[in-house]
Amino acid sequence: MEATAGAGLTRIVHEVRELDLGERTSYCAGRLTVGEERARELLRDPALSEVRLACAAPGDSVRIVGVLDAIQPCSKGPGGGGVFPGLLGPAMPVGRGETHVLRGAAVLAAGYLPRAQEAIIDMSGPAAPLSPLGATHNLVVEFAPAEGAAWEDVEAALRRGLVKVAAHLAEAALDAEPDAVEELSEPEPGIANGKPRVGVVLNLQTQGKFKDVFVYGRSLSGGLPTVIAPGELDDGAVVSGQYGHPALKNPTYLQQTHPVVAALRARSDELDLAALVLCPEPVDQANKELVSAHAARLCAELKLDAAIVTKEGGGNADADVSLKLDRLEEEGITAVGILAEMAGRDGTGPPLVVPPTKATALVSTGNYDERMTLPAVEHALGRERIALLDQASTDEVELPVAAIYCAQSTLGWGRLTCAETG
Amino acid sequence: MRIVHYVNQFFAGIGGEDAAGAGPELRDGALGPGRRLAALLGDEHEIVATAVCGDDHAAAHPEFAAELVAAARERGAEMVVAGPAFTSGRYGLACARIAAAAGEGGLPALAAMHPDNPGLGEATGACVVESGATSRRMRDSLDRLAAATRKVAAGEELSAQDGRIGPVARTNRLAEKSAAERAVALVLTRLGGDREASEIPLPDFDSVTPAAPVADPAEAVFALVTEGGFVPAGNPDRLESARASKWVRYSLDGLDSAESGKFESVHGGFSTQWANADPNRILPLDVARELEREGAIGGLHGEFLATTGNGTTVADARRFGMEWAAELRQQNIQAAILTAT
Repeated sequence: MEATAGAGLTRIVHEVRELDLGERTSYCAGRLTVGEERARELLRDPALSEVRLACAAPGDSVRIVGVLDAIQPCSKGPGGGGVFPGLLGPAMPVGRGETHVLRGAAVLAAGYLPRAQEAIIDMSGPAAPLSPLGATHNLVVEFAPAEGAAWEDVEAALRRGLVKVAAHLAEAALDAEPDAVEELSEPEPGIANGKPRVGVVLNLQTQGKFKDVFVYGRSLSGGLPTVIAPGELDDGAVVSGQYGHPALKNPTYLQQTHPVVAALRARSDELDLAALVLCPEPVDQANKELVSAHAARLCAELKLDAAIVTKEGGGNADADVSLKLDRLEEEGITAVGILAEMAGRDGTGPPLVVPPTKATALVSTGNYDERMTLPAVEHALGRERIALLDQASTDEVELPVAAIYCAQSTLGWGRLTCAETG
Repeated sequence: MRIVHYVNQFFAGIGGEDAAGAGPELRDGALGPGRRLAALLGDEHEIVATAVCGDDHAAAHPEFAAELVAAARERGAEMVVAGPAFTSGRYGLACARIAAAAGEGGLPALAAMHPDNPGLGEATGACVVESGATSRRMRDSLDRLAAATRKVAAGEELSAQDGRIGPVARTNRLAEKSAAERAVALVLTRLGGDREASEIPLPDFDSVTPAAPVADPAEAVFALVTEGGFVPAGNPDRLESARASKWVRYSLDGLDSAESGKFESVHGGFSTQWANADPNRILPLDVARELEREGAIGGLHGEFLATTGNGTTVADARRFGMEWAAELRQQNIQAAILTAT
């Protein structure tokens, strides 16, 4: 059989099974060592007075509190050019050529930012399997803001610093023997091979400072839906600056490793991953309706047979999904939404705030309000106290699932769902 | 069995909306629909007393339920039966609260209302059986309630066949596959022609008919209410910034404007920078006072009501709404300005 010559991305995978801090950054046979000095240098910024680095591995008795963004290390070559365009590399289209990724590792920041609800990752115990970052070797960046620094500048410093460190770490593996090489083809417009054309409509939260997502370095706020290639996500074209709704958060890590994109790629024998449509989540109804109708028309132009709609954020973002599902169905496109339920502590309340009226195919990522008990841990990173509960971060705590980082992300990483009791 | 039966002010014969503020009390024997219920129950069971409360009072003071259940116990009650409340929202809320309070106190309890009654969501585990939509259906509603009462008194479980209604709890669990994989499978199922497959049942929301416009604003007393997480600086009652479980109230007496530094928004769903720079942007007290001075409105209520509308469950939001409406009616307020964020 002849290989297809279409454009696409070659993903060169290096597994990380061990992580530690050391003098020089290196990667060898699954062991990633972070050169502490160099990492600090990359994070240095006038808005930050102090940066601390720590490692957290799956199984550790560690709780990370106040998790902000998380990134998968990736690199397209020395110097960091080409990944995280508009933030690290130049703002030019990415998603082709070769990209090295450190699978099983993540760089994340934890601490206080305004509007950031306290997100929690437990590296062991019952909450660990609920978070994608409970299963990765995490380089945790703790920080103190410089005196008088504006919080906006602190946030921007962290966002820049994390991607620099992530690219730097992956560079250490450029010459290493890969664990896997994955060929990811780009969607071809107008291809007629009899397989259904399935797209993904991604709602990105655009609700102002500390609740914004960046595409090629700029907010999608105020714009109309746009089409990108899946490889652009792999290369970090979408970077999160959204720190609310811990369980419903879509960190950069999940954009880079987008679970719905991965699930569609995995079934390429039955369907074609045909398009990704990025949409802002406006804060007002009129613009929610405009963006939804426009996104549905784009999907029709792209000749999609079906689309999966994801969102970021709580109540009002249900409307962004529901309106799109309805508009898609009106265009004759089969629509499936992924949503979290907000049914109250006992799970008896209405599960959605704004349900669709025409489209009814919904996947549940579980009830946000149901509570769970997290056992005490030996160490905490990020914040010493959980302000929400006024308890020490190492204590046994009872929390709603809503506080567990990415536990209900509608990008669909998790296995959490909801069903009638009985 | 010794039963205490709950009805509202109307069915107890105290009065209509004018008496909706009446406080809780226990009256001897059966009253109103309780008389027919007693007859249907026969000699085995006795309605020893009727618990009564005005609908507005019951909606605005959830503690009425515990008070009435304690009084019923003192009267030797072995079971509490409430309603039927038909589709009347505040009455349904009261019946649900009474049944839930009795259940929490270890007494068998049962309420009756129509499945569309917005109070149904407050029953939290207590038994509710279906009634008709209006009191024109009193007769068959009482037949069903009496039959269900006998079953509950005998310690039997009620089923849908007995007319049991109420919210079904949905609980979290781990699926075999990820949500992304399930979404792709659902796409293929739907494309294969199945038009029903879904993991989430669509909620059936009631629609609220807007009240008639205020006839003459110059004669009406206005209240300011908000879901903007609006509180005195320092948030003394710790109103939540998200997933609010309660609402709060504070005095506006002697205040001409919501000054920066005296009030703040703790809402977690938007940047509060501009709200806190001028809190009147959330609670428009400055212009409301102007309108009051000009005589454009008859007056401004002496306190404001606030909660946080951010990740709030529909069930909680509905309860806050019913409680606010009852509270404002009790205070003789004719109009409310709800600033949404």
